[in-house]
Amino acid sequence: MEEKDLSHPRIGVFVCHCGINIGAYVNVPDVVEYAKQLPNVVHAERNLFTCSEEGISAIKKGIKEYNLNRVLVASCTPRTHEPLFRAACEEAGLNKYLFEFVNIRDQCSWVHMREPQKATEKAKDLIRMGVAKARLLEPLEEIEIKVAPSALVIGGGVVGMEAALNLARQGFDIHLVEKEPELGGTLRSINKLFPTNQEAVKLIKPLVEQVKSHPKIKTYLSSKVKQVTGFIGNFNVNLDGKGEENKFNVGTIIVAIGADALKPTGQYGYGKMTNVLTQLELEGRMKRGESLGQNVVMINCVGARVPERTYCSRICCMTAIKNAFLIKESNPKAKVWILHRDLMTYGVDFENYYRKAMELGVRFIRYSLERPPEVIGDKKVEKIKVYHELWRREIELPCDMLVLTTPLIPAEDNQDISKMLKVSLDEFGFLLEAHLKLRPVEFAMDGIYICGSARWPTDITEGISQAYAAAAKAAGPLRMGYVKAEAINGFVNEDECSGCGVCEVLCPFQAIELQPRDGKRVSHINEAVCKGCGTCGAACPSGAISMHHFTDEQILAQVEALFS
Amino acid sequence: MSNSENGRKSVLVVGGGIAGIQASLDLANMGFKVYLVEKSPSIGGRMAQLDKTFPTNDCAMCILAPKMIEASSHHNIELLTYSEVEKVAGGIGKFKVKIRKKASFVDWNKCTGCGLCVEGCPVIIPNEFDQGIANRKAIYLYFPQAVPKKCVIDKREERPCKTACMDACPVHTNVPGYIKLIAEGQYKAAYKLIRETNPLPASVGRVCYAPCQEVCNRGQIDEPLCIRDLKRVPGDQWNIEELEVPVVAKTDKKVAIIGAGPAGLAAANDLALRGHNVTILEALPEPGGMLRVGIPEYRLPKEILRQEIGYIQKLGVEIKTGVQVGKDITTKKLKENYDAIFVAVGTHGGMKLGVEGEDIPGVMDGIGFLRAISLGKKVNVGRKVAVIGGGNTAIDCARTAKRLGAKEVTIVYRRSRTEMPASEEEVTAAEKEGVKIEFLTTPNRFSTENKKLAKMECVRMKLGEPDASGRPRPIPIKGSEFTIPVDTVIAALGQAPETDFVKELGVSLSKRGTIEIDTKTGATNIKGIFAGGDVVTGPAFVIDAIAAGEKAARSIHQYLTGQPLVGEEPRKEPEKLSREEIEECKKRFPSRNKVEMREGPVKERVQNFREVAFGYSPEEAVEEASRCLAGQIEGCIECHECERRCEPKAIVYTMKDEAITLEVGAIIVASGLGLYDISSLTEYGYGKIKNVITAMEFERFTAASGPTMGVLRRPSDGRLPENIAFIQCVGSRDFRNKAYCSSVCCMHATKEAMLAFEHHPGTKSTIFYMDMRAVGKRFQEYIARAKKEYNVTYIRGRPGRIEVNPENDNPIIRYEETISGEVKCFEAELVVLAQAMVPQITEELAKILGIELDEDGFVKVPDKLVQPLDTTRPGIFACGYVHSPRDIPDSVTQASGAAGRTAEAIAGGK
Repeated sequence: MEEKDLSHPRIGVFVCHCGINIGAYVNVPDVVEYAKQLPNVVHAERNLFTCSEEGISAIKKGIKEYNLNRVLVASCTPRTHEPLFRAACEEAGLNKYLFEFVNIRDQCSWVHMREPQKATEKAKDLIRMGVAKARLLEPLEEIEIKVAPSALVIGGGVVGMEAALNLARQGFDIHLVEKEPELGGTLRSINKLFPTNQEAVKLIKPLVEQVKSHPKIKTYLSSKVKQVTGFIGNFNVNLDGKGEENKFNVGTIIVAIGADALKPTGQYGYGKMTNVLTQLELEGRMKRGESLGQNVVMINCVGARVPERTYCSRICCMTAIKNAFLIKESNPKAKVWILHRDLMTYGVDFENYYRKAMELGVRFIRYSLERPPEVIGDKKVEKIKVYHELWRREIELPCDMLVLTTPLIPAEDNQDISKMLKVSLDEFGFLLEAHLKLRPVEFAMDGIYICGSARWPTDITEGISQAYAAAAKAAGPLRMGYVKAEAINGFVNEDECSGCGVCEVLCPFQAIELQPRDGKRVSHINEAVCKGCGTCGAACPSGAISMHHFTDEQILAQVEALFS
Repeated sequence: MSNSENGRKSVLVVGGGIAGIQASLDLANMGFKVYLVEKSPSIGGRMAQLDKTFPTNDCAMCILAPKMIEASSHHNIELLTYSEVEKVAGGIGKFKVKIRKKASFVDWNKCTGCGLCVEGCPVIIPNEFDQGIANRKAIYLYFPQAVPKKCVIDKREERPCKTACMDACPVHTNVPGYIKLIAEGQYKAAYKLIRETNPLPASVGRVCYAPCQEVCNRGQIDEPLCIRDLKRVPGDQWNIEELEVPVVAKTDKKVAIIGAGPAGLAAANDLALRGHNVTILEALPEPGGMLRVGIPEYRLPKEILRQEIGYIQKLGVEIKTGVQVGKDITTKKLKENYDAIFVAVGTHGGMKLGVEGEDIPGVMDGIGFLRAISLGKKVNVGRKVAVIGGGNTAIDCARTAKRLGAKEVTIVYRRSRTEMPASEEEVTAAEKEGVKIEFLTTPNRFSTENKKLAKMECVRMKLGEPDASGRPRPIPIKGSEFTIPVDTVIAALGQAPETDFVKELGVSLSKRGTIEIDTKTGATNIKGIFAGGDVVTGPAFVIDAIAAGEKAARSIHQYLTGQPLVGEEPRKEPEKLSREEIEECKKRFPSRNKVEMREGPVKERVQNFREVAFGYSPEEAVEEASRCLAGQIEGCIECHECERRCEPKAIVYTMKDEAITLEVGAIIVASGLGLYDISSLTEYGYGKIKNVITAMEFERFTAASGPTMGVLRRPSDGRLPENIAFIQCVGSRDFRNKAYCSSVCCMHATKEAMLAFEHHPGTKSTIFYMDMRAVGKRFQEYIARAKKEYNVTYIRGRPGRIEVNPENDNPIIRYEETISGEVKCFEAELVVLAQAMVPQITEELAKILGIELDEDGFVKVPDKLVQPLDTTRPGIFACGYVHSPRDIPDSVTQASGAAGRTAEAIAGGK
């Protein structure tokens, strides 16, 4: 493409009627005449709809005919229409950052419908400001960052394995790091899985085999990630231990380190009485086929939904019901009571499972936080006293075994992961996603993704879905081979930088680092990571940081134009 | 690239809700070509209907809109909205899919989504996006932030008539449109719609000759619609002085209009709406032209006309009365002071009989007579009055004379009844009032007795060969002379233009003295001077003058803005129904006769000038309006109002569905959730008790861009409720209905209770529940916050029934509080039901896709533990609510998961 001469601004102004949206309130012909007189404006015209095919071709024609090197459209909102007009400029051979958008609809004609005269004047003001900025616009390029075709998966449980396999099947080299000597994670301790009652081992075993035999997956057992530096496309990973073996580069990272189950020491005799155990411990007993006694009582929400731990851990109600179901199934004469608060059997399968458990004879007793069950017995629990909320009286239940249903709690490693990857933790200590609703498997930091119970307690099917989701996010850059960084980003005038480091602290994307330069330390902005939010520029006490496309000069020119 | 290769690189996503959008974006970011099919006109799905979303209370639209825009502008995503999957063949890696893109009847390449069309559409349909709590039009934008932002016409069947009325009308009034609105009782909208092409609806609705009625297709079945009578209804039933004045950007152009008759007023109206500065110069003391001084009060009350002219003045038009051009202002000054001139002076000159005695006092011309009466002058007509002529003016003169006290009024007309130009109705009305008509008679001379007019000698005529006018020439019969005693003779023979000043302007005139113009544009031979109305055509009808004024206004606007004068397109001739169509109509629509308009009794009405016709009552109006054939169908009636308003010319009524064939490697089903029909749960009174609504309806009430702009008003009386009850599990966890838990309602209700409080602080909410299922991140804390900060109380219990307090329409909930075991009553001002949700996939679509559904209608997953997002057909995956009940974060996660699963399934081994 031929390079345009940009030294002398030749600005074209296109004012949109937007049907009557603008045209009925702003005197568009008048505005066009006004624009024509502004310095450096060599062409101004109006369009019924600048975004229509006619409008777009008018822009392209204008660029060629008048040899425009800056284009200003005064119409609606950049949120919906900027890409369109930028593309039109590009197609006509003009760098898209030489385009300036002025909103005379949402911010002018719509809010000043009752005062058309003033709306017209305001439109002129806005365009005058836009022209002042357009004059100073510079062409910008989005830089492309190469992405290494490999990924790191931290955590070798079912979720981590699924994520690793998904990416490996797409052809990427995967480094799977597991701190335990074996793959399989928490599931190794689990007996059977809801809602199908399949044995957990039947799920893990084939997975482990697939992982081990996959040529693209390299598994590191009994290993931990020690250090990660770099950014999306090119993370440098160091594992514990020495040797080249333990150093590698990856394009993206998936965190799947799971969670721990709470040990309710001191509650309901746990740790003191011999026949009190957690659901996780029960799983082990059931797996080993140990006898469980005739009367089993389970208490839900032990350590969950209480003032000191307010959250609901999502999977425990089902875990209790599943184990109760399995006990009744294998020993129909056994009596199983579940003392619960709200029962979280959401959706189709869980509600169904709950109903089947009732049909099988599992007894459900609702208790309240205000009147929790009491344990009767000395070295052993013998009876449970509980206020039956629906019967409105206290009852006593015989108890051979008391099972406490405890929540998942954040894994200990979360702290280290948070520091090492510069990702945040939420108020509970779980890893914090970029956006609770719309970016649940991403971190705010590009190139690092999260799945499974490390983010929030999840069951197997949800965990696997999340594994695929995180893999999909991680695969995007890997498959494309590059990522495009924002062209509107910050840049540092190193001569003026005093190295105070305010910017480094404030940057929400960890894009800024102080680096040595000629004997002093100066701020350095990593373009690949910078999102152009402008926080650093606003905060810099020396005025050393500017934003491309929003330079001080450009903004001040607009302000001056407003008051001229 | 080979075909199969092509297939491997592309994916079809069915459903454009948040799950479908997310899956598409992830696939597109992985380099796949994505076809996103959505059956409604916009992507966005259920999330777009929500006000805010739990547990962060982000505005749903604010976080969804950027995603929608990202999807629509992503170079790897092709949106196929308003489309449905018709057929799926082949298998994983090489599916062949047939898509049907439904006809939107709007060319989306041209539509800019401006919505001008919507405002004009007269067809009102419950808005499904607003859950029916508000209406939309037949042409509509799915919702304000729709992506793509394109309009759609809801056209369901062919209109049974040809709208011949519109083609016959000189201003193409949107007859079916305003009649439809009258049938709906929308008087203001009807008035505004008529006013689009006629600035004097109420006046014209009384005096129009109604060429529309003559051609009305209903007339081919039973009787034509009383279109003119319906036209006055909006003005009768609604105060036209309440019509708001639009704000218009002013230009600096000045236009002088000479003559404040219908042509001048119409031109002034249109030019003022285009922002030009208009001054009307009127020679008479009152504006209105013939409507004011030619048509008697008993046909058109002056107050009505005054109001309609008053509105034109409110638009900024200055009317200077008593100004005669050429005398009070020179033509030279006129040319200097104005950028354009429109001459519309009408024909106010009377014509001479050319017989002996015509100058005797007591012989007067009809136009002058009517003008004098209209302007309040006293005229003594005596006992015996003869009116000469056969036009409407003659009838008006005769009926006026009767009202002035004449005992005998005789109309003398030289041809027979068949040739009489006056309208049939007028003639009949006059005869009812006792006016005699002597046909085939013409006066020969007038004579005096005692220096006063006393006799009129007449001669009988016979009809000969047709003359230049095409009517048979009357020939006097010799020897048939006879004499009639008269006190007054009114000669209503015709009208002539008075155009002396026009010559000064240099405008060329015809031999008849009328102005010559370019009939397409209204331009005269002098640049910047235009003319129209009777002064061009000779005496004609009001509506023709209005048409001429509008035509001239278009040309003048073009002239003032430096555009070439385009002129009018040739008109389509009114069409008749074919014989088959008549038969079809007769079968479909039972015969119904027209509703006659009531009139004042003859005896009374000849005593005064009060309006004779009473106008329709609202009931009569609805009855008559609902006879219109065009209004018999559902959806668009093709009245062309949108077409007239659409500036980019995007309306295409002839559009057909389009078949699209795609080759894709995999398919993701994300068709979302539907709402379970809870009409069988009669105990809660939904649909019967006004103040019982569903949670989704609540959402549309509180949504900022919803029909009430976010104001929660209860349906019965519009009051802001301060005590709201929410009932959970309505149809969910219920064996009679849906046994499963819908998963999102507990949080949804809590959110709505919070919103109620935010909208109206202090509002108390009570939520009746079974189990509070709050299992996601920050959900428990959300509920705690609701209790603590938002005045929300949770009561465990499933209400048994809802009754209504007849005094205040409050619903009364009867329930057992399970914790205390007591049966209690709870009176709320509004009840919100957590309606069960269902997967939105029909068995038919499942069949087309070749996938199985489970017994609840969710997509069947063969092994949830091994491949949780697979369906029963390899290569087809599912996510979101159609897969299993889940909230937004879970749906979004699943969507990304389905994208990941798709990538490994069809692009493995890369």
